[in-house]
Amino acid sequence: MLCNVIGELWKKRSLIFALALNDIKLRYKNSFLGFIWSFLEPLLILTVLFFVFTHVIKNTIEFYPLYLLLGLIIWYMFTRSTTMGLSSLTDNAHILQKIYISKEIFVISSCLTGFMMMLIEFAAFGVFLAVFSFVPPTTIFLFPLLLIELFILSVGISLLSSILNVYFRDIKFIWQVVLQAGFFLTPIIYSFEMFPANVRVILELNPISHFITTAHDLVLYGRLPTIYSVLYVMLITSSIFVLGYVVFRKKESKITEEI
Amino acid sequence: MNNEIVLEIKNLSKVFKIYHEKNSTFFEFILSSFKRSKKFEHLDVLKNVSFNVRKGEMLGIIGSNGSGKSTLLKIIANILIPDSGQVSITGKVIPLLEIGTGFNGELTARDNVILYGLLLGFSKKEILNKLEKIIKFAELENFVDTKLKNFSTGMYARLAFSTAIEVDPDILLIDEVLSVGDESFQQKSFKKFLEFKSKGKTLIFVSHNLEQVKKLCDNVLWLKNGHIELYGEPEKVIKGYLDSS
Repeated sequence: MLCNVIGELWKKRSLIFALALNDIKLRYKNSFLGFIWSFLEPLLILTVLFFVFTHVIKNTIEFYPLYLLLGLIIWYMFTRSTTMGLSSLTDNAHILQKIYISKEIFVISSCLTGFMMMLIEFAAFGVFLAVFSFVPPTTIFLFPLLLIELFILSVGISLLSSILNVYFRDIKFIWQVVLQAGFFLTPIIYSFEMFPANVRVILELNPISHFITTAHDLVLYGRLPTIYSVLYVMLITSSIFVLGYVVFRKKESKITEEI
Repeated sequence: MNNEIVLEIKNLSKVFKIYHEKNSTFFEFILSSFKRSKKFEHLDVLKNVSFNVRKGEMLGIIGSNGSGKSTLLKIIANILIPDSGQVSITGKVIPLLEIGTGFNGELTARDNVILYGLLLGFSKKEILNKLEKIIKFAELENFVDTKLKNFSTGMYARLAFSTAIEVDPDILLIDEVLSVGDESFQQKSFKKFLEFKSKGKTLIFVSHNLEQVKKLCDNVLWLKNGHIELYGEPEKVIKGYLDSS
């Protein structure tokens, strides 16, 4: 079954890429200025956060600017992918009602758009590395695996939420609130090491926190994640993906009528 | 025309739920689960429809608004799932239910054609091979890299129509879109249909233009309130249709 699904998607790869690339083209409106604009928002947030968390609230995190930027890029990838993925079916209702097409294509291409934007932002991160003349440790070679896992998690969540969004249009707002809260519950601007162990255990239930912490470890500190952390994230990712996939398959033939 | 059947429809029925008050948010859904009232009614859009289409046949579907014509095309195109009955199809079906599905004004004509072709299920290579032909048939050679938002309605329609017909489907489904472009383009598309037919391709189209149906079709199907009122020779069916209204 899984092989069939992957085979089908492989055949549709040019469509998935074309949709994602067009999306990026439209976002940047084919202009260099549009491209710059899309960097300005994260850069502004980065500057403010950096100011607050180094001058107002003292912290002891090593390589703090890089720590902050890396966390933000990964967090943005997750929020963008899941936000676009969530509304991907309703946004493309006009197409779904006129052409027969595998509906998961839109969900995957939305997440791919988020992924591609992240790659563009990593180019900026590379510039930062150069500015700080920081040479990443060899563990960085494991980093792509983490990003692929994050992509799979985003697709899984989006498969589920895109279907829910067909039936309940306020899921979008609920998800926005979840993401708002998630930003502060994830070690992007701070580190979990600031908390006592019993609080940490609860905070670490959030799977995204593991992605961010592992990214920091792999790219900045040359540390490997614990086996517990790796297994926990794999378990969460695969169960959400399977759940999303099953719900999607079950409901997809009804979408065109309900949308 | 030969006798090979490419589309077989047997006892097809489709029911739509017409909601009195649709819960479109999660909170409404929770609130409404405390109320006990009938929230929707059933509407039989198609009732026990059966017919066959042979290879190379041109079938016209006529009927007043709301008679189930578009629903029938959507079921053949696999966009809607029937509640009962069977649809068996041999070959590739391309639905042209609307002009320029998925077209985006901010993208160029070239990008749009490629995207549209991919959406219709063709590989990138196949579309790139046909790109030139599509643009030529649409008479838009000078506007390949123009953004679609700068196109006139006619140009837009021509591009969409050319893409659908040049991608070479086995069965083409057309819903009320024949009247695109100016007189000369209509003549051209009419010729294209005949050429299409001579290649042994099948065409099913819904139209209110009875003259065109009479000229083009081998058989005509008249739908009335979801069932087949009359099926057969164009002359006979169209006469029956006109007499009834």
